Amino acid sequence: MGSQVASSPVQESHRPADGVIIRTEDLWKTYDMGEVAVHALCGVSFEIARGEYVAIMGPSGSGKSTLMNLIGCLDTPTSGRYWLNGRLVSELTDDELAHIRNKEIGFVFQTFNLLARATALHNVELPLIYNGTPAEERLERAKEALRVVELGDRMYHKPNELSGGQRQRVAVARALVNNPSIILADEPTGNLDSATGAEIMNLLDRLHQSGNTIVLVTHEFDIAAHAFRVIGIRDGKVDRDERMK
Amino acid sequence: MAVFSQAEATLHKVSARPRAHSSIWVTTREAFFIALETLRTHKLRTCLTLLGVVIATTTLIVVMSVINGMNLYIADHIANLGANVFILSQFQWAQGEEAWLKARRRNRPIRMDDYEFLKANLKGYKSLGATGGIWPRPSARYQGHTLDEVSLVGATASMVDIGQEQVEYGRFISESDERHSAPVCFIGQDLVTEFFPNVDPLGKEIYISGMPFRVIGVAKRIGTTFGQSQDTFVFLPLTTFKKNFLGRPGINVSVQAWNAQQMSVLEDEVRVLMRVRHHLPYKEDDDFGINASDTIMGLWQRLTGSIFAITIAVVAVFMVVGGIVIMNIMLASVTERTHEIGIRKSLGARRRDILTQFVMEAAVMAAVGGALGVLLAGLISMVVNHFFASSTPLSAILVGLILSTAVGLFFGIYPASQAAKLDPIEALRTEN
Repeated sequence: MGSQVASSPVQESHRPADGVIIRTEDLWKTYDMGEVAVHALCGVSFEIARGEYVAIMGPSGSGKSTLMNLIGCLDTPTSGRYWLNGRLVSELTDDELAHIRNKEIGFVFQTFNLLARATALHNVELPLIYNGTPAEERLERAKEALRVVELGDRMYHKPNELSGGQRQRVAVARALVNNPSIILADEPTGNLDSATGAEIMNLLDRLHQSGNTIVLVTHEFDIAAHAFRVIGIRDGKVDRDERMK
Repeated sequence: MAVFSQAEATLHKVSARPRAHSSIWVTTREAFFIALETLRTHKLRTCLTLLGVVIATTTLIVVMSVINGMNLYIADHIANLGANVFILSQFQWAQGEEAWLKARRRNRPIRMDDYEFLKANLKGYKSLGATGGIWPRPSARYQGHTLDEVSLVGATASMVDIGQEQVEYGRFISESDERHSAPVCFIGQDLVTEFFPNVDPLGKEIYISGMPFRVIGVAKRIGTTFGQSQDTFVFLPLTTFKKNFLGRPGINVSVQAWNAQQMSVLEDEVRVLMRVRHHLPYKEDDDFGINASDTIMGLWQRLTGSIFAITIAVVAVFMVVGGIVIMNIMLASVTERTHEIGIRKSLGARRRDILTQFVMEAAVMAAVGGALGVLLAGLISMVVNHFFASSTPLSAILVGLILSTAVGLFFGIYPASQAAKLDPIEALRTEN
């Protein structure tokens, strides 16, 4: 991947060091609301190393969701650069971004975002479908991922036949199945009761222990406390960045 | 925890395998199954949506079936002069009204001496025969029973090989009958039914215009054409016919060739002989007609051509209406499934994947409509065939299926491109 970026000397000089999975450099995101321009992000820069467990915190309206969309390659910044796993992704086209999302990012959403009419297994298969994995291998890996989240016996259930916690575990399995560079969890416990929420956080902790990089977006302190590092966002800027453990 | 790490390790190991980034086949297959699933969940909506396409396909196939059935029927019942037979007659058949009016003024009837002339000068034919008829059709009587509108035909003995009338029992007119102008006749099945329901007709005498004719043979049943019986006929030796009915009848000369290639050669020869005989300069049109089965088929096909053109216009209108309905329902479906599109995009679906999914859905839906149309058309064709003639050609089924699928593809493109263009963040935010 790195060799593709190397063609430009400017980009080369800013290339993140090995072991850095995310590097953002002066990220701006401006929404044009007719008369006024709203700056959702005003120059956000940070690095996240491989294997880190980071919480991005901030009150609503802080720009936290915008940042998450950029990190998740769902959107592109107005200005600034973003490297993900050694590749400059801030200037890619829609379809290239889709490819990056598929390969590098495992999403876990607050509202689970499972396909209601598909079985747990098929939901987990989806990322593999979009990178053209052959059916046999796809099934094997989706089943494996469901076993990792301890849902090996619920594979053929549809989301409405599963509890909230189980649904979120399906979503975690789906995030895992493509072996992404980062797992991006956006308020993963927001729709769960505290006991089930703790169960999901436990699962994320275990994934971190086995080597995954986890980025957690939340506004709850006790959830953020699971992470080893907290990046605080306020008014579109990083207002604190501290290691907890 | 040990189990967990082990599973995790397997996951990493498996995904480390190299493979192509994407395969159209995998995503297309997925799109196909999504399409089937969607249609299954919305059965009623699908059926209503497909009405236009179903009607269009049904219309197309039914018309094609009926035309095809009629073609077979005409070839079988009307344009059946016999194998490799053509007929020299006063008029060319199946020509326009103007040409016919002109021909009526200048064409001369074909006479017995023309027949004798051809018999003496034409070479290589398999068989040569002549027939003459009379109009209006006379009645036939036997022991107080009367049968009106009998087709009375004077024929040479050679017509036994050429005509479509086959001997059931007894015999056809012989050359000896012809030489002696014998008062004998060969009759159709309708006369048997009317006059001889329980007796052997052979040797009995029937009366036509007050003159007796002895039955020497009975023809096999031919059947009906457009509800008209083809078995109400009486054949006399041509000489007998001349002596008793028309002294100098206009006749038709039937020429049978050995094979299809020779037939066109013989047609040309007859044409040349007749033109020489009628002293026609080379620029002048024929003043006689040479007719073969394909003359009748030609007329019929000109007729069905215009029926077919109208059908195509009607089917096109139905198809466009059906396509627009599909487009409309697909637009609704895209709106309804915005959230699903957002999920798929967040997981790495590209524009092309979403486009494929919705185009596939429209195409599968329309193809189902086409298939329903084929089934419905098959049923209608069966019913029609009961009263009339209908035979569904394979090409009609293929055309119906391909056309309906193409309509789905075409009208699915716009809604699918709308879906593909959706912004993933907006789409994920939409709740439904």
